[in-house]
Amino acid sequence: MKRKLLLLAMLGIAGIAMAGSKSMTLPPDGVQLKASPLPGYAKAQASCVACHSAEYMLYQPPTAPRPYWDNMVKRMKTVFKAPIEDADMPVIVDYLVKTYGNEQGK
Amino acid sequence: MRNESESISRLRRQLLAGGAGALAAGALGSLSRTAHAQAGSVDLPMINGHRDLVAFPEKRALIVLTTRPPQLETPFEVFNEGVITPNDAFFVRYHNAGLPTSVDGDKHVIKVGGNAVGKPFAISVAELRSQFKPIEVVAVNQCSGNGRGLFNPRVTGGQLGNGAMGNARWLGVPLKDVLARAELKNTARQVTFDGLDTALFGGGDFVKSLDVNHALDGEVMIAWQMNGADLPMLNGYPVRLIVPGYYGTYWMKHLSEIEVVDQVYEGFWMKPAYRVPDNDCACVEPGTAPTATRPIGRFNVRSFITSLQDGARVQAGRATVVRGIAFDGGQGIREVAYSIDGGQSWRGAKLGDDVGRYSFREFSFGFTPARGTHDLRVRAWNRSGQSQPMEALWQPAGYMRNVVESVKVTAA
Repeated sequence: MKRKLLLLAMLGIAGIAMAGSKSMTLPPDGVQLKASPLPGYAKAQASCVACHSAEYMLYQPPTAPRPYWDNMVKRMKTVFKAPIEDADMPVIVDYLVKTYGNEQGK
Repeated sequence: MRNESESISRLRRQLLAGGAGALAAGALGSLSRTAHAQAGSVDLPMINGHRDLVAFPEKRALIVLTTRPPQLETPFEVFNEGVITPNDAFFVRYHNAGLPTSVDGDKHVIKVGGNAVGKPFAISVAELRSQFKPIEVVAVNQCSGNGRGLFNPRVTGGQLGNGAMGNARWLGVPLKDVLARAELKNTARQVTFDGLDTALFGGGDFVKSLDVNHALDGEVMIAWQMNGADLPMLNGYPVRLIVPGYYGTYWMKHLSEIEVVDQVYEGFWMKPAYRVPDNDCACVEPGTAPTATRPIGRFNVRSFITSLQDGARVQAGRATVVRGIAFDGGQGIREVAYSIDGGQSWRGAKLGDDVGRYSFREFSFGFTPARGTHDLRVRAWNRSGQSQPMEALWQPAGYMRNVVESVKVTAA
């Protein structure tokens, strides 16, 4: 009896798999941007994490220099059309390099 | 050393717990995570290498490189479970956050067009499955940046360990047969591939291209099954491109549009992204930029010990069998050598079953450690005689790592 129930349960799973559609719910972001008194913090919250989670910044090597962060912010605007005001870009770069890059503690 | 082996055994326990959770979720027929809490963490061997382990839909707890869009790395222990990487442990790599969360697999349509076809058409997955003769291949998929976090000097980008790879049995149809129906013009130069995932603000849609001769080689395929099951959503359900021997960047997930075009496609993800130095080693002096680049292509040769992790503790004087895997870009592995003295002397390892030239190839060797620390290394050769460098090659984008890796174990 137990075995029969198990078999039925397995068929049930197969039935779902064969139904020909899938949907999923993705988990929430694992980390948030690091809080900072720098003015770029709020702007990064508005501009960067609208599209992607903060691990993209957090896991970079701490040696990542200012030109890297500058290139990334520019790429987000020019390639990905992220709606970032030109005036905000240097402020965001400054927050990123001082929070995640090689100007931490400066 | 002690901390490392402790963290590894902790990881094992966490993985077991995560696996049970995934099974429970499967029994309920739900792809959503039942709990959003992370299932532990792991420390990759790099500065700033602390990572969470989280079970995403249809996945056991994997190493989270990024949550949104998902980029998940396979914990290295998984590669010791067998030559096939289980679907629920297979790595995940998206580029844009607009990924599909619900897809009707049978009704999903692939459009085939472009300025170098005579007869554009659209085909549903149900039609694809019934109107062409299916083929199967066991092939490794590997992220271009697998091992990027191990580069020295460090490079920016996704800081992966060596777990952004996997080996699966793919079932689908040859792209060649599907394209034949479109009646290619003799102006055809490249074939571009797009999937359902989108860029949120319209720029930088993830589109890739292959030369038309490559696309028509009979090996590039559109697959709907992976290891005997539907593709996991996060691996491209309902259909993805399989490009045996080539880096995963070309293996378009949720494939929805194919265009045959009369010129070389140069969208962002083909140029400037995913390019390597245009020379024999695909490398430059550390810290310098290449003068010319080409799109990344075939895998180079790699090999890994899987039964022992760096920092492991083993029993002195006890005979053990060390196991591992090797692969290359499609010639097939001819030979694997091992060293137990940091590369000073080498002997031949025993190769396992050959399940195809695009697959992981298992190998093993006996090892009875004397008391002390041992630096184990393995090095593979493919059937063209290509091998792995003893010192790591370097390139600014951090692609194509294939150095002979070192696994240090302590016997007591």
